[in-house]
Amino acid sequence: MAEKLKSLGLSDQKVKETLKNESLTVILADIVDQAQGKGELNKSVGNLLYNLGTKLPRQFHTRLPLLVEYVARAQINQEAKLTAAIKFVQDHAMKEFNTAEFEKACGAGVEVSQDEIEAAVAQVIKKHKEVILKQRYQYNTGPLMGQVRAILQWADSRKVKEEIDLQILTLLGPKKEEDLVKPVKKKTEKKENKPEVAQVQHTEKQSLTMTDFLKTVHFHAPGQNHKTEGYVITENTSRLLQEHLKITGGQVRTRFPPEPNGILHIGHAKAININFGYAAANNGMCFLRYDDTNPEKEEEKFFVGIKNMVEWLGYKPHQITHSSDNFQQLYEWAVTLIKKDLAYVCHQRPEEVRGHDPPPSPWRERPIHESLQLFEDMKNGKFDEGEATLRLKTMLEEGKMDPVAYRIKFIAHHRTGDTWCIYPTYDYTHCLCDSIEHITHSLCTKEFQARRSSYYWLCNALDVYCPVQWEYGRLNMHYTVVSKRKIAKLISEGFVRDWDDPRLFTLSALRRRGFPQEAINNFCATLGLTGAQIIIHPDALEACVRDVLNVTSHRAMAVLNPLRVIITNYPNKGPTNVTVPNIPGNDSAGTHTVIFDEEVWIESSDFQEVEEKGYRRLTPSQSVGLRHCGYIIQVQEVVRNAQGGIDHLKVTCHKTTDANKPKAFIQWVSKPLKCEVRLYERLFNHKSPEDPSVVPGGFLTDINTNSLNVLSALVDVSVKGAQVLQKFQFERFGYFSVDPDSTPDNLVFNCTVGLKEDKGKV
Amino acid sequence: MSEAELRQHHLRVVKMEEEAERLASSLGALMTGTAEALETKGLVDKELTDLLNENKKLKYRTNILKRRVAQMGGKSSSSDTILSPDSFKDQMCNILGQLEGIFSRAIQSAYPEATSPVVQIQLSKHADYQCNAAMALAKSLKKNPREVGEKILNNVATNPLIAKMDLSGPGFVNVFLNQDFIRQQVTNLVMKGVTPPPTTPMRVVIDFSSPNIAKEMHVGHLRSTVIGESIARLMEFLGHNVLRLNHLGDWGTQFGMLIAHLQDKFPNFATSPPPISDLQTFYKESKARFDEDEPFKKRAYEAVVKLQAHDPKHIKGWEEICEISKKEFKKVYKRLGVVLVDRGESFYQSRMEDIVKSLGAAGMLEEDEGRKVMFAEGADIPLTIVKSDGGFTYDTSDMACMKQRIEEELGQWLIYVTDAGQSQHFKTLFACAKKVGFYAPDRIRVSHVPFGVVLGEDKKRFKTRSGETVRLVDLLDEGLQRSEEKLREKERDKALTQEEFTRARDAVAYGCVKYADLSHDRARDYVFSFDRMLDFRGNTAAYLLYALTRIRSIARTAGVSSEEVVSMAQKGTVELDHEKEWKLARTLLKLPDVLIRITDDLYLHPLCEYLYEVSSVFTEFYDNCYCVEKDSSGKIVKINNNRLVLCEATAAVMEKCFFLLGINTVSKM
Repeated sequence: MAEKLKSLGLSDQKVKETLKNESLTVILADIVDQAQGKGELNKSVGNLLYNLGTKLPRQFHTRLPLLVEYVARAQINQEAKLTAAIKFVQDHAMKEFNTAEFEKACGAGVEVSQDEIEAAVAQVIKKHKEVILKQRYQYNTGPLMGQVRAILQWADSRKVKEEIDLQILTLLGPKKEEDLVKPVKKKTEKKENKPEVAQVQHTEKQSLTMTDFLKTVHFHAPGQNHKTEGYVITENTSRLLQEHLKITGGQVRTRFPPEPNGILHIGHAKAININFGYAAANNGMCFLRYDDTNPEKEEEKFFVGIKNMVEWLGYKPHQITHSSDNFQQLYEWAVTLIKKDLAYVCHQRPEEVRGHDPPPSPWRERPIHESLQLFEDMKNGKFDEGEATLRLKTMLEEGKMDPVAYRIKFIAHHRTGDTWCIYPTYDYTHCLCDSIEHITHSLCTKEFQARRSSYYWLCNALDVYCPVQWEYGRLNMHYTVVSKRKIAKLISEGFVRDWDDPRLFTLSALRRRGFPQEAINNFCATLGLTGAQIIIHPDALEACVRDVLNVTSHRAMAVLNPLRVIITNYPNKGPTNVTVPNIPGNDSAGTHTVIFDEEVWIESSDFQEVEEKGYRRLTPSQSVGLRHCGYIIQVQEVVRNAQGGIDHLKVTCHKTTDANKPKAFIQWVSKPLKCEVRLYERLFNHKSPEDPSVVPGGFLTDINTNSLNVLSALVDVSVKGAQVLQKFQFERFGYFSVDPDSTPDNLVFNCTVGLKEDKGKV
Repeated sequence: MSEAELRQHHLRVVKMEEEAERLASSLGALMTGTAEALETKGLVDKELTDLLNENKKLKYRTNILKRRVAQMGGKSSSSDTILSPDSFKDQMCNILGQLEGIFSRAIQSAYPEATSPVVQIQLSKHADYQCNAAMALAKSLKKNPREVGEKILNNVATNPLIAKMDLSGPGFVNVFLNQDFIRQQVTNLVMKGVTPPPTTPMRVVIDFSSPNIAKEMHVGHLRSTVIGESIARLMEFLGHNVLRLNHLGDWGTQFGMLIAHLQDKFPNFATSPPPISDLQTFYKESKARFDEDEPFKKRAYEAVVKLQAHDPKHIKGWEEICEISKKEFKKVYKRLGVVLVDRGESFYQSRMEDIVKSLGAAGMLEEDEGRKVMFAEGADIPLTIVKSDGGFTYDTSDMACMKQRIEEELGQWLIYVTDAGQSQHFKTLFACAKKVGFYAPDRIRVSHVPFGVVLGEDKKRFKTRSGETVRLVDLLDEGLQRSEEKLREKERDKALTQEEFTRARDAVAYGCVKYADLSHDRARDYVFSFDRMLDFRGNTAAYLLYALTRIRSIARTAGVSSEEVVSMAQKGTVELDHEKEWKLARTLLKLPDVLIRITDDLYLHPLCEYLYEVSSVFTEFYDNCYCVEKDSSGKIVKINNNRLVLCEATAAVMEKCFFLLGINTVSKM
C-alpha cells in the first residue's frame, strides 16, 4: 500500500498520514492500479490523482476510471482542469454523459502555447500600464493572473506567472533602490493596521446574527442533493429530485424535530437556531415537527413548552407537524419493504439484541409472506410486547445489523388514541418524515452521522425523495446537567425548585434568569457549524448576555447590604428628585427619577472605619461622592448600637465641585423599595458533574449548596411597577431580571449575570 | 392508671388513628384504581403499580384484538370445528380439517402462551399425515423442537380418527389414521354415495352468464356460464340454498330501434307473435336503419321514451323481442346443462329510482359535472349513480340489485362471476354498498369471481378466421363435430350403438370445453384449443371420462351389478390391507377437504387436479391389485369383492367431481 501511495509522489510523512485513513487508502490504491500503464506517473500526475481521490464524492466513483484515464494521459494536467472535470461529472450524474462536452468543459487535452500566453499577458498589462508605471514594483500583480486566465482558461498558471514577471521587468527595467525600499515600508504600515483590522473583525463578529452567519454556510442548493458527499444516487434520483423541486419551488426546507418528552435546553437552542436560521437566511421555511413516535412519554405540557420556547427565541414555524400524522403512511411503507424483502419480522428478545455485536437474527431469511402475515399479526395485537419486531435489512455504519423499525407497545398515543399497538422507531420514522415534508437539509447533530447510511438506504428502498443529512457538533455545557431524568431528580430531591429554576440550563430557566433571547441566538452564532462536539463554559454564554444587556437594560441603584446614613446638613426641605440617565452614554435611552432625602442607604462595604491603602470609598477621614445626585458626603459620627456594631452614620454633605472631586462615587438609595434579590452560583462544583472520574459519587453529590442566596435589598424607586422579566442593571452589581414570583408589593429580582466575568459570586 | 401510662395509651391511640387514616386513604386510592392516583397520594407499591400497568396494557391489547375480530367478521375458520366421529356416520369427513382442529387445540393446551401458532398438517410419506407445527413454535418459544413436538403429541385429545402417533425427526408428529374409521368411510361412500362434509347452510345468490338481449352469446359468456354453473352446483351440494340469477341486459336505448323496426316489419306483432328466426339479423337490420335513416332514428328515440313510460304497446314489443332472445339462450343452456333464473335489468327499474332517492337523502351522492356520483373508502373511482342527462347506469342497477338480493332474497353470500376487467367496478360497488350499510362484512359475504380472457392458439383474443367474435353456438357445434371425428378415429362408432355414440359424443364435446376452462387458474387467460382438450392422454375431460368408463366396466365384465357391489359393501367393511388399497382409500376421502378449500377462494381448478389425482392413484391400484383374476383362457377364476367395492367408491367420487364440474358422464364410450 505504502508503495502505491509513494508512487503518487507523496512524501513519507504524507504517506503515513494517508494510511491512517483506510477508505481513502483503498481509493488511492485503486486509482494507482487504474493509472498503471496509461501514462507516465510523474509528480504532477500523481498530485492530481491524489486530489482526484480526495475530492471526488463517493457517489460519483462510477466515473473514477474515466477521470483517472484523463489525468494519467495528462489530458487533465492541472488543478483547474481537474476541478472543472469533477464539477462536470457532478452536474451530469443523472444526465447523458457526452464525452465531447466533458472534454470541452474541463479543457481536456487543451494545450495553451507560449505565444498565446505572451499575447494575453501583453493585453492585460497594457490595460493597467499607467498604474503599473506609477506604482512600479509596489503594484500587486495577483489580479493580473486572474485576468489572463479569464482570457486563456486553461493556461498553465506557473507559465502565466513567469510571463507576467518577465513582461513587468521588461516594462519597468531592473529594480532600483527605491523599489527595494518600498516593501519594508509596506510592512510597517501593515503592522500598524493590523490591530485595527482585528478590532473591526472582532466587533463584526459580535454583531453577527445567526441569519448573517448562516448566509455564509455552504450547504447544497435545493435539488442539488446528489452533489453532496455520500449521497446515494439511484435510477429514480433524477425524477424524484425534479418532483421535489416542483413541490418546493426550489425553496429551502428545514425542520426542528424535538421529541415532545421533555423540556428544551441550551443544546436545543443551537438546533433551533441552525434550522430556523438556515431557512430564514435562504428565504426558506422551517417546520416544527414533534417527533412523537414513542407513546409512553408524551405529555401536553411538553408540546406547549417547546412551542413557547421556539417562539421566545423569535422563530415562527412554517407549520407544526407531528410524526404521528404519518403513521398510516409509515405502516404502508413498512408493508412495501417486507414485500421487497427488505424487512422481516424478528422474535429476538430486546435483551438478546442489546449490547455490542449481538447474534444475527435467525428470522432474517424467513419467507416474505410469513413476515407479511406476522407483521399484520403484530398490528392486530396477536403478539405481546417484545415478542416481535419489524427489522430492516440494512447495516448501520457502526456495524449494527438490521435496526428495528417497529415494536409493539400496548399504550395509547396522545394523538392516535388506541388505533395502534405497533409504533415506529426513530431510525425508521425520521428520514421518512423528512421525505414526506420534502426537507431539503436535514440538519442534525454529529451522533447521527452513523445513521446517515440507513437514512439514505431507507428513502431509496422505498423510492421516495431523499433529503440530505448534514451534521453539526452537539453543544454541551459545563457545570450543568440537561437530561430530563436528571433534572427531574434535582427537582424531586429539592436541589432546584422546578424545570425553570434559574440555576438550570433549560431554555425556560434561562429565560427566567433574565437571559435575552437575542443573547442566546448570538451565542449560537458564535459557535459556528463545525462537526466537533463542543463543551462550552457558561462564561461564554454569559459574555453574550452581558453584551446585550449592557446596551439594553436600564440602570438602577440598589443596596444589597444596607447601611443607614443620615445627612445632618441636608440642604432641601423634604425629598427631592434626582434625574438619572437610563443608560449612561446613550441619551436617546431617556432618563428616570430617583428620590434624594436626608436619610439614605449605602452599601455597607462602601464604608470602612479603618483606612487602608487603596480603599477609595468612605472612611471617617475620606469623603465619597453619591452617584448622580451631585453631593459628596463626609462622616460626622459613627453611631453604634448596643452590641457595639455600627448602627448608622451621621454625615454632612457638600455639592460636588471641580475642586473637591472625590476619589469615588458610590450608589445609594433613599425612600427605597424593599425587594427580594436572588443571587445564584453554579449549581455544581465541577465542570463535568456527570463524569464519574471527576465526581465518583454521581452528579447529586456535586451540588454546590450555596448556589442560591436570597437577600432582602433596597432598590431605588425607578423599578417600581416593573414587569416580569423586565431587566435592569443594578449599578456595580450586575444585571437583574424581575422574577415571576413577584407581586406588586414585593418585587423579586434574579441576578442574571454579574457585571464582570470574574465576579461569579457578585 | 398512672399519668405516664395514660400518656402512653394516648400516644398509641394517636398512632393507630394515623395508621387507620393512612389505610383509609390507600383504600380510597385503590378503589379509583389508577397508578397515577396512587402515585399522587404517595402510595407507591411496586407490585401493585406493575400489576396495574400490566392490566392497563392487557386491556389495551384486548381492545385491539376485539376490533380485529370484528373486522374479520367474527368468524373462526372451519378447521376449528371438531365434530365427534359419530357425526360422520352419515356424511363424509373432512379429515384434514378435523386433524387441524384437533392439533390446534392440542397446541393451545400445550402452549397457551403461543400466539397464533400455524397448525401445519400435510400428507406424510412415513405415516398418513404429519403435523409440522413444532418447528415454528419451538423457534418462537425458544425451545427444543423435539420437546415441543412431544408436548403437542401428549396434548392431543383421544379421537377415533387417529389410531396412533409418533414423533420423528426434529419434532414432526406422525399421524396414523384409524383404519376402522377409514374403512367405514369408504363403505359409506359406496352405500350412501358421496355426501357433503358438515357445513352451515346459507342463502347463496350467484349471478352468472348474464348475456344481453338481442345479441348473440359469445365465447366470453361461456366462461361465466361454465364457472358459475360449477360454483352453483358445489354450493348446492354442500347444502346451501342457492339462487342462480341470469342478470340479462334487457333494458336500454337499443330497444327503441328494435321496437321501431318491429313496428315496420310486423305491424300486428301485438296480436300474433312475430316469426323472427334470426334475431341477430333483425338487430343488424335495425341498426343499419338507425345509422342511415334520420326519421327512423327519431322514431327509435320516441320508442325509447314510450317504452320507459311503460306504454303497453311498446312493452308488448319489448316482451316479444326478449322472448325470442331468451329462447335462443335457453337452447344454449340446455346443451350445456345449465339452469338459470332470468332476471334482467328491467326488473330493477323502480328499485333504481328508490335507491337514487335514498342515496340522495342519506347524503351519499356528490355532484360532479352534472353527474351524481358516490365515493367510498378504498375505491379510487366513484360510482356514477345518475348521469348528467338524468339517466341511470350499470352502477345504479348494480346497487339496486345488491340491495334487492340482500334485503328481498335474504342473500347471505353474493357471488358475481364476470370477467376480470370488472374487478375495479366490483371493488367500488362493494365498498359503496358497505358504506350505505347494505351489508356488514361480518354477516354477509360478497365475492367477485373474476376470470381471464379466452385466447386463440395464437395467444391473441379468441376470434374466428375472419376476425369476428366467436359465436358460442358455432363453437359448441364445432365441438360436437370435432368430438365425433375423434371418436370415429378411435373407432368408437363400431363398438357403441348409435344412441351410446351420440351420448358419448355430446359428453366429450361439452365436457372437454368445460373441463379445459375449469382446470385452469380462472384468474389467468387460457388458450382455447380443441386439439389439446380432446387429447385422450393427460389431464383432459376426454381421458378422465374414458377412465371412468373403464372403472365402471370392471364390475360389468365380471358380471357383477352395482346393486351387488353395494350389498357386498353392506356385508362388512371394506378391507384395506394392500398399500395401494390404503392409498386409494385415503385419496378418495380427501374430497371433502378439497371442496371446503374451494369455498374459501372459489377457485375450481384444484377440483380438476384432484379428479386427475384420483384417476392416477386408481391406475396405480389397478396395476398392483387384481380385482378379477382370469386364467389363460380368459375364464374368471376369482372375483375380489373387496376391490370391486373400492372401484365402485372411486367411480362414485369421480362421478361426483364430474357432476360438480357440470360434466355429464357416460357408462360406455
